[in-house]
Amino acid sequence: MPDTAQVKIDPDTNTLVRTGVESICNPYDVVAVAAAVQLVGKHGGKVTVISMGPSQAEAALRECLAQGAQEAVLLSDRSFAGADTLATSYVLSQAIRKIAANEPVDLIICGKQAIDGDTAQTGPGIAARLGYDHFTYVSQIFEVKPDEKTIIVIREVEGGRVTVTGYLPALLTAELDLAVPRYASLPEFIRSLRQGIKTWQAADIGVEPERAGLKGSPTWVKEIFTPPVRKGGPVFDFSRDGEKAVDEFVDQFVVHEAGRIAAILSVKA
Amino acid sequence: MPKNLKGREVAEIMQDKCIACQICIGVCPVGAISMEGNTVKINPEACIGCGKCRDVCPVSAVLFKRPSKKKLTFPQQKPAPLEDYKGVAVFIETHNGAAADVSWELAGKARELADKLGVRVSGYLAGAGVEPLAQQAISYGCDDVYMIDNPAFGSYIPRVYSTALVQLCRQSKPEILLIGASPLGRDLAPCVATLLETGLTADCTGLDVDLQERLLLMTRPTFGGNIMATIFCKSHRPQMSTVRPRLFKAPRPDPTHKGEIHKIDFSYPQDRLPHILEFTATALEAGAADITRSPVLVTIGKGACRAEHVPMFQELADMLGGTIACSRPVVEAGLMSYARQVGQTGKTVTPKIYIGIGVSGSMQHMAGIQGAETIVAINSDPAAPIVQAADYSLIGDYREIVPALISRLKNKVANLAGSKP
Repeated sequence: MPDTAQVKIDPDTNTLVRTGVESICNPYDVVAVAAAVQLVGKHGGKVTVISMGPSQAEAALRECLAQGAQEAVLLSDRSFAGADTLATSYVLSQAIRKIAANEPVDLIICGKQAIDGDTAQTGPGIAARLGYDHFTYVSQIFEVKPDEKTIIVIREVEGGRVTVTGYLPALLTAELDLAVPRYASLPEFIRSLRQGIKTWQAADIGVEPERAGLKGSPTWVKEIFTPPVRKGGPVFDFSRDGEKAVDEFVDQFVVHEAGRIAAILSVKA
Repeated sequence: MPKNLKGREVAEIMQDKCIACQICIGVCPVGAISMEGNTVKINPEACIGCGKCRDVCPVSAVLFKRPSKKKLTFPQQKPAPLEDYKGVAVFIETHNGAAADVSWELAGKARELADKLGVRVSGYLAGAGVEPLAQQAISYGCDDVYMIDNPAFGSYIPRVYSTALVQLCRQSKPEILLIGASPLGRDLAPCVATLLETGLTADCTGLDVDLQERLLLMTRPTFGGNIMATIFCKSHRPQMSTVRPRLFKAPRPDPTHKGEIHKIDFSYPQDRLPHILEFTATALEAGAADITRSPVLVTIGKGACRAEHVPMFQELADMLGGTIACSRPVVEAGLMSYARQVGQTGKTVTPKIYIGIGVSGSMQHMAGIQGAETIVAINSDPAAPIVQAADYSLIGDYREIVPALISRLKNKVANLAGSKP
């Protein structure tokens, strides 16, 4: 994922300026890994991190290993490229099925959303495919009882927060305050560099190529454009004309906006 | 036109235009394209010069001069029997037996799209004690209301709601399904789309139809709001979209509009379902006025992020019957709560009058105020992006401008309020 906070459009050529854009771990994903590592520290078990992407995603996976994850799996296959969220959730759910066939999977934690696409669809999509219950916008894992297979989480919703209980296996999507990521210690960092990362291709996880990547994506981009700009109106320069600028502004504003102001004030009264 | 060692004309990626969407990697028949750094690269020795990557590139970043045989070559997908799907459906979101505003905003938009396509509008109403809303849905433009009134829908459980919506879609087969991009809608929509194996475009800011192809054209900001993308879903139905609240105006209800109410039986096994233990309204939300409903917003930006000036901004807001809002840096600085944040990562607002004080006007912020009727900018920098877009700009130090503005506006506003019945 390109780190979008740094992406800018060149106003002259209308293209993306890419200097200084690095591929990094999405901050929501970093928090998700930190939460998983904390849970395993408390209850035992194992944290496996999964990412679908080109080989560059390895760097992000190593970052997760340094954070304390035990295993990393990269899903990389040419047929996965160009995927929309439907095709992405398909490939990821196939990988989770493969893991679950060998060892029990209790909890899947995803970042709330990607920072470039901002769609927040993949997590619920994976849960729907696997038949797991899911909880989005989770800001706190209140309690997990691995033996009883129950979980209690706090979700941020419109106007407040809800405490919900449900059964495992389940899927959560993480808000930024779900956990505080810790910095890797030197031995952990060295281990993360040494540790092998598994790479699974389509055939390894039983992915039908026509359901993955571009071929498995129902949505298509028709065009990409920069948002239309509003045309600016008069400018009153206070730093040059002093209070006269405010006088002129108020005169024009009150004449042109009289209808709006009156409508607003009549509602108020 | 570059050639490879075999003398074949090959395609090349223009690095400055590539947005790394990787669609070309998916269509390349010989695997000649791969990610390298932050863009894709074509291996000239592997490229067979078919031009498919040029045809699918959404940003015209592929340099390949040979004319293409077809206009667009998308890979073959198994098409659904599209003609079976007719009509525009809207999910009517309810909370405690009342409809969310976004439901009626979407009903109005659905009506408009359906009239263009010459089809009916369906409302999908699922909730507990929602029967009175069915007639309301009709008055807002629905021709058919499919209603599941069931205590199991008292609180939002994704598995229950998504199963119900999937059943309704299979029964009534809409070609388009619109869901509000509220927290609930953004959770529900991907489940429904996944279970129906269809395409979903999230957080759309514009919807239209291509009548010739009978396609829904969905426009949404992408890459953090820096660019807009228009998306379509060619061979899967329904075409699904979530739409941000307050983007479209809710229509005036028409009590004479006729429609049919279909009661649908739906049951779901109640064992091992998640359930809500507690709901706590956040104190901040309870105290703060809703910035999405305020007709006037006095918005504080990074350049005016000073606690001692908040009373002055409040005076200006009060005088105009408005509320204080802010931009993202002000939330990050801890001066205002997230509930007051305007912009791509905050709220989309549509005030009659927006006054930005020390707001520079980043793309992300401007995306949140594109529906404002009048924009006033108070900024020390005449080159700030907001000044280029504002209807009125006052250039200078806000600490001098705002008091001057308050004293001058006071009388005028009193006169206007008095002159109006």
